[in-house]
Amino acid sequence: MPECRIVLRNCGIVDPASIESYRAHGGFQALRKAKQLTPDQVVQEVKRSGLRGRGGAGFPTGMKWELAARSPGEAHYVICNADEGEVGTFKDRYILQNDPYGLFEGIAIACHAIGARTAYLYLRAEYHHLLGQLLRALKETGDAELGCHIEVREGAGAYVCGEESALMESIEGKRGEARYRPPFPPNHGLWQEPTVINNVETLMNIVPIIQNGADWYKTIGSGPCPGTKAFSVTGDVERPGVYEVPFGTALAELVVDLAGAVNVKAVQVGGASGRVVPAAKLDTPLTFETVLGAGAVVVLDASRSMVELATQNVTFFAEESCGKCVPCREGNQILLHLLTTLQQRSGKEQDIDALRELSEVMMISCLCGLGQAAPNSVVDTLEHFGDEYYSMVRR
Amino acid sequence: MGVETDVVDIILNGKAVQAQSGTTILQAAAANGVAIPTLCFHRDLSPTGACRMCVVEVARSRTLVASCHTLVTHGMVIETHSAKVLRARKVIMELMMASHPDFCLVCDKANICEMRALSAELGVGVPRFRAKKRFYQIEENPYVIRDLSKCVLCYRCVKACKEVKGANLFSMARRGFEMKVVVDDDAALDKEVCRDCGICISHCPVGALVWRPDRFRKPTDSARTSCRPLVIKG
Repeated sequence: MPECRIVLRNCGIVDPASIESYRAHGGFQALRKAKQLTPDQVVQEVKRSGLRGRGGAGFPTGMKWELAARSPGEAHYVICNADEGEVGTFKDRYILQNDPYGLFEGIAIACHAIGARTAYLYLRAEYHHLLGQLLRALKETGDAELGCHIEVREGAGAYVCGEESALMESIEGKRGEARYRPPFPPNHGLWQEPTVINNVETLMNIVPIIQNGADWYKTIGSGPCPGTKAFSVTGDVERPGVYEVPFGTALAELVVDLAGAVNVKAVQVGGASGRVVPAAKLDTPLTFETVLGAGAVVVLDASRSMVELATQNVTFFAEESCGKCVPCREGNQILLHLLTTLQQRSGKEQDIDALRELSEVMMISCLCGLGQAAPNSVVDTLEHFGDEYYSMVRR
Repeated sequence: MGVETDVVDIILNGKAVQAQSGTTILQAAAANGVAIPTLCFHRDLSPTGACRMCVVEVARSRTLVASCHTLVTHGMVIETHSAKVLRARKVIMELMMASHPDFCLVCDKANICEMRALSAELGVGVPRFRAKKRFYQIEENPYVIRDLSKCVLCYRCVKACKEVKGANLFSMARRGFEMKVVVDDDAALDKEVCRDCGICISHCPVGALVWRPDRFRKPTDSARTSCRPLVIKG
């Protein structure tokens, strides 16, 4: 299946440094069209399109907007989550670099739909080099054109701040750690006001939906997951890069046909917190119901050790845990300890049982998505490549 | 306003019971005679949701939910002591004990330590997991002795100082395993930065914050006490 570019429609076509170029390619038409509709009509259109959040959880965007729009508050806020922290993803950076105006237009439509005057663009600290370009593009566009004010806030380099509640704490100037839910952001979000938080890629879908209608959008993709998904493919492939394919495309088409992977052993879909798919299951369709996450696809060939992969991932989470809840703070530390012991060939079989039990408990008891997803790669590699673990046990 | 509107029907451990709307699962369970173990939660303070000790199983929820901050809703089906919940609590306690120093015998809070009582209740003895422990210098000021090696990072002192006393002396710093409760910019608590309110001490569930035994002694007392017979505590 070839690529299908909806989110990346302007990348490589529009000059990202020139608003005239964006206008010449039909820029801001969707915003003008949306302004002629009532906010509720916009929300219903997005709801009807079946668009789902691209941050990884796949929550219906229209429903999120509706909840926030109907929630009473002194002010409403839209936050664009550009804290693309997941290991191995760079699709949002590609969008920010190549189509900033398209993103602003999507944010402006979201503001119109939920009645927000201010929107925040939470930019990852590592993307500081994009700040100048974004601010210049924002200044060029102007608040009057957008009908809202977009403020860029920079992160400070914490992975957990990509998690929506920690992100809001960070914007509020507090320590970046997860809040408990409920209440959810559409009711009590930024400064306890109704807030919509959407991923960069989600907001990039808004312009085409408004322009072409929900019915057109539903024809792309598969059933409960309409539309396309951008993937950042890296690892043992010939052609790494950003690829956009419709939902339901088989994983093999993405990594083998498009990216040119050979001798695949396993693919981790969704970054460090993603699921590990063994080569035998490469025909898995890419949907929110199977495997997906934020869109990082890391291909591992036959030379890679799966225990090493799990150890690398857990090392990352032990470093990036905010430390608020016990299962994540202490659990990742112990997971790392058990995995390291195994790799040093001094582990016992009970250690593997402990890994399994601890992972299961972390997945159901942690406060936020970080801790709940941290043991994913351990659980999956244990399931599909259990022999590698047992071969490392001290005899 | 009718009484009915303020009451929600829930199913608690298989029994249909009623709960006040707007209360947490923890409060609703207590009102119906079911005790859920807690550690970071304290009735004086706003819930934190950090220790995950009070997790319960709620039907149709992907994960376990912490009962201290989740409100009851109509028709909620709650299991407070299912095998899944008990296993999670036990593992969480084992995790907490893994990095906690084994100094219970010489700890000031030994017999009033909430963590020790809770681990006994959950049947957690010597923890299965081995890991590094935290070691910090013991800090003393005229009132408080603070031993962060024993701290379980429950946020109670942070919140007690902020919400009860209104002083906001403590905050959290660093992340992950390195996280610690700090004063100012990670200064040692060795100066008189606060008065002897002791709210943080009485809210600390473990022995990380204790009174200085000689805190109420007047300068003139020193002469008198030196004449007293030496008492060896048993």
